[in-house]
Amino acid sequence: MARFRIGLLLALALLLAGCAGGGSGQPAEGPIRTASGFVCPAPQPRMEVTSRELNLFVWTEYIPEEMIECFQRVYGIRVNRDEYSANEEMYAKLRAGGANYDLVMPTDYFVGLMVRQGMLQRLDKSKLVALSYFDPNYLNLSFDPGNEYTVPYQAGTDAIIVNTDKVKEPVTAFADLWRPEFARRIVSVDDSRTVIGITLLTLGYDINTKDPAQLEEARVKLAQLIPNIKVFDSDSPKTALIGGDVDLGIVWTGEAALAHQENPAFEYIYPVEGPILWQDNWAIPVNAPHPDAAYAWLNYTLQPDLFWLTLRDFPYNNPHKAALEWARTNQPELYETYMGSPITNIPPEVLKRGHRVEDVGEATPLYDRIWTEVKGQ
Amino acid sequence: MAAEFVSTGSRRRGFWLMLPSLLWMLGLLIIPLGLVLVVSFGRRDTDGNVIYTFTLDNYLRLIGFSRTYPCGSTPPPCFDPLYLTILWRSIVLGLQTTLLTILIGYPLAYFIARAPASRRNVYLFLVLVPLWTNFVIRLYAWIIILRTQGVLNTVLGWLAGLVNLPFQPLEMLYTPGAVLLGMVYEFLPFMILPIYTSLEKINPSLYEAAADLGANTWRTLWRVIIPLSMPGIVAGTILVFVPVMGTFIVSDILGGRQVILVGNLIQRQFLDARDPAFGSAASIILMVLTLAITLYYTRRFGFGEEITSA
Repeated sequence: MARFRIGLLLALALLLAGCAGGGSGQPAEGPIRTASGFVCPAPQPRMEVTSRELNLFVWTEYIPEEMIECFQRVYGIRVNRDEYSANEEMYAKLRAGGANYDLVMPTDYFVGLMVRQGMLQRLDKSKLVALSYFDPNYLNLSFDPGNEYTVPYQAGTDAIIVNTDKVKEPVTAFADLWRPEFARRIVSVDDSRTVIGITLLTLGYDINTKDPAQLEEARVKLAQLIPNIKVFDSDSPKTALIGGDVDLGIVWTGEAALAHQENPAFEYIYPVEGPILWQDNWAIPVNAPHPDAAYAWLNYTLQPDLFWLTLRDFPYNNPHKAALEWARTNQPELYETYMGSPITNIPPEVLKRGHRVEDVGEATPLYDRIWTEVKGQ
Repeated sequence: MAAEFVSTGSRRRGFWLMLPSLLWMLGLLIIPLGLVLVVSFGRRDTDGNVIYTFTLDNYLRLIGFSRTYPCGSTPPPCFDPLYLTILWRSIVLGLQTTLLTILIGYPLAYFIARAPASRRNVYLFLVLVPLWTNFVIRLYAWIIILRTQGVLNTVLGWLAGLVNLPFQPLEMLYTPGAVLLGMVYEFLPFMILPIYTSLEKINPSLYEAAADLGANTWRTLWRVIIPLSMPGIVAGTILVFVPVMGTFIVSDILGGRQVILVGNLIQRQFLDARDPAFGSAASIILMVLTLAITLYYTRRFGFGEEITSA
């Protein structure tokens, strides 16, 4: 629900920015700047666009404001943005029909589902220069072989965060979260697949199992974790950590990086079972009203000289090799921070033991029942 | 002749005047409800689309008879009380909230109704002021008050320090108690207003008559005032109990998403669980249950005509 307020603030900020630059105030010559003074790079290539609008449906707190503003000014296209904080929410809204978005941002395991449901357009690669910028490790993944439907945005992990001021015993595994001394000291993402997945990992099972017997074992085990969890929060779990309500958390990269920035006592720990890996991707829905603007957006915002803003504003695991290279020469401090932090720059051996959540199809109600039961106990 | 003409004319005019609200009800209540009912007899496919068919599985699953999914370690068909437990928990919370709002709201309404006319509007205004701020934002304010290092614990700690008592911050946020508190807080005005309306209508000479006939304050309250204000209590109960049964946002925000009520269950079916058919069946059950309880209640204590006058 925090997203409502954040959304409102952003809308206000955009409105103010629009006022500042609107009317006849914008000089025709010289570089295009945002209200904050950021110089917008020129689009390469500049695409032919007839649409005057672009409708984004994206994760909250994920897209640098200057990215949006630059696109609006350079192309003269109005960007309308709606936000979500769960894939399920995005999926349900698109599924219900009536939504007319040009770009959405499904996480890996939702891509396959949306493709199967015929909700996404096959990308026209001849219009996309952006794919070559990415680290090949983030392309051609199992959820979208050959990147027929998606372009990566950012990636990350779900792992453990610990307030080392309060927790003196070392925590090295998801299994440690079950310790009795952590009673009511944990915040967790409110995501059934993540939390049940972690439980399956501690039992040595596959994170995407459809086996009812293994899931039953996980249910019993998860029920023992619940007394340790004080709050489930997928909007901003760092708030409970920073506010001192809890001392440990099951959180994602961005939240961990921001909590660590706030207070270095917060340490992000990749558990021995291996973290959960995920990747968010751009995709164009089949009924997108302005696909030309969507391609222009992708090519422009994925330019290294603009995409580096994500390093500054939203510290995730960045799959954009060219933007990192760009930052190395032009923003060395930012580059060092990114490369030096294991939160953002995931060590290769951690990546190797990571797990990816996949859609479990007909087993979804089994997961939901476990979730409903353990939370309601 | 003339009278008849007028009456048909006004009847026709009445129809045209009612037409907008009839269309409104049809388009926004009857048709959507019909759709929910149709979907509730369907089932989900692998990806969570509704397959339209006629099965009672969703309803059976809700009342505990699972034919498709295992119940814990027992394979189907089996008995699974999970959803009944959730329904029961919601009803209990609804009743607790209603009772507490009556206990807190009644004296307040009485106080306002008996205040000098010039001050009544000020008091009523104060009751209404919180409603001007968004529901969700007011719940976030409670987080700030109740959290471990929150306002309340800080004040208590300071008070304890004053008298040299050891103080351990209280665990208040993300508990079932916090959910109950949030519900009572949110719905209190909806109890106060109808009770106030019916109390205000009581002719003051009745108080005097009761006193003249030898009734003391308690007897007057019990035998005269409460019976006369019953319509207000009934109306308030409906205005509080019905929304509490369906609200999911309070338990989400103040319960740390650990307290699952019917509202949360339904919401989850449309999002994470991708089982709209089951969600629809739960909505229908909730609606029927709420209707049944309110119907019994209004039959028992008289209909709440104060809803319209409030």
